[in-house]
Amino acid sequence: MKIAVVGKGGSGKTSVSGVLARSFARSGHNVIGLDCDTNPNLGLSLGVGDLETERLLSLRDQIDEGEQQHAHTWDDILDAYGTDAPDGVRLTVVNRIDNPEPD
Amino acid sequence: MSAEQLLSSVPESDTVIVADLEAGIGTLTRLPEASVDSTLVIVEPTPRSIDVGQRAVLVATERKQGHITIVANKVATHEDEERIRTAFGEHPVVTVPLDPVVVAADRQGASPVDVDPNALAISAIGGLVPVLIETTDT
Amino acid sequence: MIRIAFAGKGGAGKSSISGSFARLLSRRGGPVLAVDSDPLPGMAYSLGIAVDDHPTPDNVVVEGPEGGPKWVLRPGLDAAGFIDTYASTGPDDVRYLQFGNTWGHFQTLQRGQHAWSQVVREMDPAAWNVVGDLPGGTRQAMFGWAKYADVLAVVTEPTPKSLHVARRLLNITKAEWAPSQVVVVANRVDEDEDIERISNALDRPVIGSVPNDPAVVEADKLALSPLDHRPGPFVEAIEQLVGVVESTYDMDDQRATKGKP
Repeated sequence: MKIAVVGKGGSGKTSVSGVLARSFARSGHNVIGLDCDTNPNLGLSLGVGDLETERLLSLRDQIDEGEQQHAHTWDDILDAYGTDAPDGVRLTVVNRIDNPEPD
Repeated sequence: MSAEQLLSSVPESDTVIVADLEAGIGTLTRLPEASVDSTLVIVEPTPRSIDVGQRAVLVATERKQGHITIVANKVATHEDEERIRTAFGEHPVVTVPLDPVVVAADRQGASPVDVDPNALAISAIGGLVPVLIETTDT
Repeated sequence: MIRIAFAGKGGAGKSSISGSFARLLSRRGGPVLAVDSDPLPGMAYSLGIAVDDHPTPDNVVVEGPEGGPKWVLRPGLDAAGFIDTYASTGPDDVRYLQFGNTWGHFQTLQRGQHAWSQVVREMDPAAWNVVGDLPGGTRQAMFGWAKYADVLAVVTEPTPKSLHVARRLLNITKAEWAPSQVVVVANRVDEDEDIERISNALDRPVIGSVPNDPAVVEADKLALSPLDHRPGPFVEAIEQLVGVVESTYDMDDQRATKGKP
């Protein structure tokens, strides 16, 4: 099942996503938390902490700077850009990071 | 791979994927048709948030992004809840109360579940699990 | 003339702050143009302007020359004329330029965007103070939408989520077109520790500290400007912020002369 969570910034989208993912996991489901935000914060609401959330971010930055190989399949992505969150949720960050560009 | 491409290409399985999209409706407008089974629209009881939510509902409906459920979030009063129900007419609304545990979790950078698993907001969000399973089964 | 743009995480309070800033600056006498580049309306609420999508008519633009922008202002219509005709007028005489009609019709939206960008780029820098509100997050900010500004104010709450976004926004200082000042405004501050947390996390001066004011929450629910609903600590803090920003211009001694090509 794929669930998209949307809303205005600050509406509590990420908190609801994190708690919902953990709730599904606690009721016995395999769960992937997919952080599609260009400002990825889902890690915090899933409970992986600030450092791990930052680590995932810098991983993405390296990809964009060409220091890491791009992953091409769904499984590669889960593997390479993911981390394990509490209750067995797998968190994956899929955003594009924006770097300042001249135009 | 962009979020839009990825989300539309994930193979169907028993795994539950909770995709936290970018704030606003940008990703939703770029997401290929019928990419997801369910769309949760998170709305605070403010006119601005309701306005964004209504636009999101419009786009999600047009682009067939599954069942739409409104989450009335940070609800403090009966009027807050009524205002959101009125604004979204026929769509199911699940209410999540304004909860100091969520505010505290935000300040700490922690999951609300780890701050207090018995918090009211957490039970309310957990209540979405059977609702989502039921709507996507039918 | 002051040219400031506000950026930050969605929900950090950019619109409440930028709209109030625009009105308070206008009360000090200078002409103020408020420019909102968020395709979802936000700033209008805090300016006290009725929120409505006022699509600029399609015929304000014509197809651009080959190799140039897709749409350009039609012959005979320049930036000043556009503002004169299409910017709404709100309380305290603030003029407001909205990004475009946003209800679903993206062709129309694109024309509006081109018109908006051209007006902001070509307007006479000596004619207006400019106060801008960017959409939440880093996308627009990183792609140069705040080029018109001398001061980019990054609004942040003292929460890790908000600080993550703020930290990324501060990368703008590395861009060639970076506004000459990139500063931090702390919002929803409860205690001194909050300010400390923010300045430690961002390693940059916090030029404004805006308290958590329940009146702003109420104003949000009522769709009113914070200036029109029980003005209190929030409004005082924005007044101070206006003063601080003005004084940095005085120091630069660049008032009324600075503007970017």
